[in-house]
Amino acid sequence: MLIKVLPTFLSLSLLTGVSYAAPAWTGADDQPTNPLACDASPADVASKPYDGGAAVDAPNRKGKTLKAVDIPKLVGIGYFTATSKGIAEAAKEMGTMDVKTDGPTKANIDDQITLIDNYTTSGVDGILYAANDPVAIAPILKKALAAGINVVGYDANSSPDSRQWFVNQAEFNGVAKSLIDTLSKEIGEDGAFAIVTSTFTTPNQARWIAEMSAYQAKCHPKMKWLETVEAQEDNILSFNQAKTLINKYGPDLKGIVGMTSVATPAAADAITQSGKCGSISVVGLATPNAMKPYFASGCVKSAILWNPVDLGYAAAYVLRATADGDLKPGSKSVKAGKLGELKVINGSEILLGAPFVFNKENASSFDF
Amino acid sequence: MTATTDDTQAAPLPGKGNAFIRYAYRSYGQELTILCAILIMFVSVGLYSPRFLSFDNLNSIFAGNAYIAVAAIGMSMLIITGQIDVSVGALIGVLATISGTLAVSGYPVWLAWLMPVVIGMAINAVVGILVAYGRIPSIIATLGMLSVLKGGLVSVTGGAWISNLPPDFLLAQRVMLGVPFPILAMIVLTVFASVWLKYSALGRSLYAIGGNREAALAAGIRIQRRIVMVFTIHGAFAGLATILFATQLQVIQSTVPPNLELTIITAAVIGGVSVLGGTGTVIGSTLAAILFATIGSALIFTNVSAYWLRAVIGLLILITVLADMMRRRKVWG
Repeated sequence: MLIKVLPTFLSLSLLTGVSYAAPAWTGADDQPTNPLACDASPADVASKPYDGGAAVDAPNRKGKTLKAVDIPKLVGIGYFTATSKGIAEAAKEMGTMDVKTDGPTKANIDDQITLIDNYTTSGVDGILYAANDPVAIAPILKKALAAGINVVGYDANSSPDSRQWFVNQAEFNGVAKSLIDTLSKEIGEDGAFAIVTSTFTTPNQARWIAEMSAYQAKCHPKMKWLETVEAQEDNILSFNQAKTLINKYGPDLKGIVGMTSVATPAAADAITQSGKCGSISVVGLATPNAMKPYFASGCVKSAILWNPVDLGYAAAYVLRATADGDLKPGSKSVKAGKLGELKVINGSEILLGAPFVFNKENASSFDF
Repeated sequence: MTATTDDTQAAPLPGKGNAFIRYAYRSYGQELTILCAILIMFVSVGLYSPRFLSFDNLNSIFAGNAYIAVAAIGMSMLIITGQIDVSVGALIGVLATISGTLAVSGYPVWLAWLMPVVIGMAINAVVGILVAYGRIPSIIATLGMLSVLKGGLVSVTGGAWISNLPPDFLLAQRVMLGVPFPILAMIVLTVFASVWLKYSALGRSLYAIGGNREAALAAGIRIQRRIVMVFTIHGAFAGLATILFATQLQVIQSTVPPNLELTIITAAVIGGVSVLGGTGTVIGSTLAAILFATIGSALIFTNVSAYWLRAVIGLLILITVLADMMRRRKVWG
């Protein structure tokens, strides 16, 4: 009899033992943080020498029509349809760029490499890409640079020396500021909130949480960070975890932040089904398509991500400026049409700017 | 320990004490252990934080893993027969996408609910035929199916989500007779499957095949047909689990939840289904699914990292399997 009963109780007692000892976990990593200023003033840019590559013996392309190709991770999904739309928009505006989008139909690095190779051989002036694999794509991009082609990445980077510039859609501290500012607007400066993340060891989420924690302590010190729970990338688990948080804290809980595009809609459904719409706010990282039902019901006001149309638009301007020689090693910023001056960060990256807040009004114009 | 075809095992031991308790323990030892564990957690965490026992939280606990419990019913039957399916998580992901696509394409919702069950049965009937007549070990056949389903899902959907589901479709959000639908479905299906396994000739033949294949063959059981049958039934339960999974939220994630198949297999094993086949009940697997949900909720209420959930469940598996091995040695060794 003992052999059947013992294991279960052994494990349970272990569990109970730990439970009283452990402090609440935030899920942050232990890297240094760099919280942004509380107002909208730009962050100090730590200067780092240019670490990108160079197009070998590139001809003088200044002012000439640029023949470019955009090779995203894959085509046919809303996200990259939006980036190509932005690229086409910028090309039309400039009038000196002839660009087409041609990507693999699956997010497959081998197909992407073949495409880049073909375009390098056939002769283009510029390549825009979003890498399916940061390491595997590097040799073929270096080949393009060696052939004198201007190479600019966006969305997903490759090793810096395999391209000239990379348009970075969002920095960790920028996303963190946007999340916490939006949350404080919705739940007030003294509101209590909890976080639903993927796992405590997922690098991006841990980084965002660390920056959020630092920014909240600096700019919204009265807000109360209740706890962080894990839900992997599992929507039903995220839903269950969010419901448990609602049940645990009752009326004390004012907000839930979803750290993944899976957790945010699941948390929104949890407050919907618990009848807490309006009394508990959900903000988080999410794609507009997944949030449309919750925007429509009014249960969620804002979701945070970047605007992929702007990302493509900026990438096209960066490519033009690179080809013209206006953006060169040592540059501090670059002009990008309607987006204005974009900053150079991390040596050879261009920061798109503050993250984009999706809401009921603007979500319908996106399909990803 | 559980309902087996071996009646001598279920007979009360001679000696003092309450014969009924001994009988219950012999027959349902693992189930009773898990039930006690759940109750102990309710009481201890409830004392620590009374909101744990609130109506809403109990609903969350019982409904939270209902789809895992339903899928674990089919999985238990498979394991009892001496088979396994490591592709069930991917299957549920695929069926959910099919179901959601039908619903948003304007087909009647009953069709969107029915098709996962039908397609689940069809896919697993094929796997069953490969295993029974093609003599491919079930772990290999289903591992192959796992790759096919996972790869196919990502290729077809490109990772896009399904939103704009019609409100009628969201069955798992409904409340019937004051009880959330997932809880009702879990109870009804568990009772139904449990009675069928214990009292029908077909159900009992599964224990015979898993317990002693040669004896089952000698007794005239058509083993190959039964294996195809049990895979098909498992497919039906995967389809039913899909309905609960796909209708819980207003959006359907088109990727497969990580480790779903492992959670389902774990529920069956901790519920007392022997990994060697031949013993186990679906009441046990359902209780195990509820136990996971209870532990998961308790960890949040007691501020323990969810890492402990994995550690504790891992420990439970090891010890349960070890205990099973030792029991067998005692009986036959």
